[in-house]
Amino acid sequence: MWFKKSNFLTLAILILLVFFSMRLTEFDLSKFKDFRNMIDFLSQWFPMDFSLLPNMVQDTLETLAMAFLGSVFGLIIALPISFLAARNTSPSPILFQFSRIALSFVRSIPEIVFGLILLTTLGLGPFPAVIAIMFHNIGVFGKLISELIEAADPGPQEAMKAVGSKTWVANLFSILPQIWPNVLSQFFYRFEVAIRTSLILGFIGGGGIGQRLFNDFKTFQYSSVSLDVLIIMIMVIIIDFLASSIRKRII
Amino acid sequence: MIEIKNLSVLYAGNTEESLSDVNLSLQKGDFICVLGKSGAGKSTFIRCINGLQKPTGGEILLDGKTITYAKEEDLRKIRREMGMIFQHFNLIPRLSVLQNVMTGTFGYRNSFKNLFGMFTAEELKRARSVIAEVGLAEMATRRIENLSGGQKQRVGIARALVQQPRVLLGDEPVASLDPGTSDRIFTLLKEMHERLGLLTIINVHDIELAKRYATRIVALKDGKVIFDGLPKDFKEAEYQETYESQSADAYFGAEI
Repeated sequence: MWFKKSNFLTLAILILLVFFSMRLTEFDLSKFKDFRNMIDFLSQWFPMDFSLLPNMVQDTLETLAMAFLGSVFGLIIALPISFLAARNTSPSPILFQFSRIALSFVRSIPEIVFGLILLTTLGLGPFPAVIAIMFHNIGVFGKLISELIEAADPGPQEAMKAVGSKTWVANLFSILPQIWPNVLSQFFYRFEVAIRTSLILGFIGGGGIGQRLFNDFKTFQYSSVSLDVLIIMIMVIIIDFLASSIRKRII
Repeated sequence: MIEIKNLSVLYAGNTEESLSDVNLSLQKGDFICVLGKSGAGKSTFIRCINGLQKPTGGEILLDGKTITYAKEEDLRKIRREMGMIFQHFNLIPRLSVLQNVMTGTFGYRNSFKNLFGMFTAEELKRARSVIAEVGLAEMATRRIENLSGGQKQRVGIARALVQQPRVLLGDEPVASLDPGTSDRIFTLLKEMHERLGLLTIINVHDIELAKRYATRIVALKDGKVIFDGLPKDFKEAEYQETYESQSADAYFGAEI
């Protein structure tokens, strides 16, 4: 009564996919029999070493700054490009196609690859990480915002054209107020993602609390590692909370 | 004032013309109501007049000069002399009444000044007085979302009037409003029309409104003008011809 034949086929395919994925990832729960090692390892994390707390807080701020700059610059650069990459506002089909392709190209390159490439010219530190996050965010914002533009109500645009306004001014004034709440909401979401990304970029020398965590780990400073992890958790929770409350207020 | 010569519009992908060979001469002081069924070409006709729709044949002359083949820059100058109001008001959301009305002056200023809101005191005064004229003086700073349908259309009218237009176009401006509100909107339009000496062209569904307010009625059917004259001459026979679907007759005829 509830199931069709095609449902069983879907289920069979799903089971097959799960099976092959487990083979590929050497997924084996019996390996957990050695979990005592993990307990021993984690017990070395305590007591936490608070002596370097001020430096860690500073690194945390650096991480936040990287994520913030990367997403703000990404948004600022992506906004005008989005209007070129939206079917209803693009001045020419050639520019439309070109900006679409350019956006999906930068979007397809992961931040860590950008980071690794930029390290060769910019050296170690947070600056290449900011640029890496920015590039990826241009691609992501460009796609999201151009889709918002395409979904905007065309009525106000037509009215602006009818008063004799220039086309680009008409587009800007009629569309931006419509999509603004969504754009800001996306921005805060991408900011949260950028924080996680900048932690990873720390592992390749991008600075911030991510790099400190990596260094402490590699040098067996487990009593510092535990505090790094705690600080990261607190930071992520605070930002999640702030971002979601701001997003709620805008919408 | 406006000469329409052999105007035709064929939308891409259609086989039948939405407007076909329309010839009209529209004069200053005319308050024209355009009648016709849905799909008769009313909207296409109105949108051709300010160039929102490009005709596929014929041309429109404003004071003897063609607007159909005008360049973008000239078209903007023509459009700013024509106010337009819409069925769904087409106001900019999240902006205030005054901000929306100020966008009506955008055709008279360069983009930089528009972008940074560099308006003269005279322009702001004009906007405020137009807002007062449409009866929204106390609501100038309110956001559009907080207004009723009738109030939104009043903002639409204010935006059109602040342009200091010579022509006022209305594409079904009262189709989303209740009968009482529609009547009050038409009273306001007629008042402004007479005071400013405009040429007003409005699409309506409601034939009673048209007969009460229009000085001239144009009826369209299948893209063709089937009536052009005084409201008192638009009688039962004309009504039948405008609104009775011939294809429906044929259909029922075939059934019986």
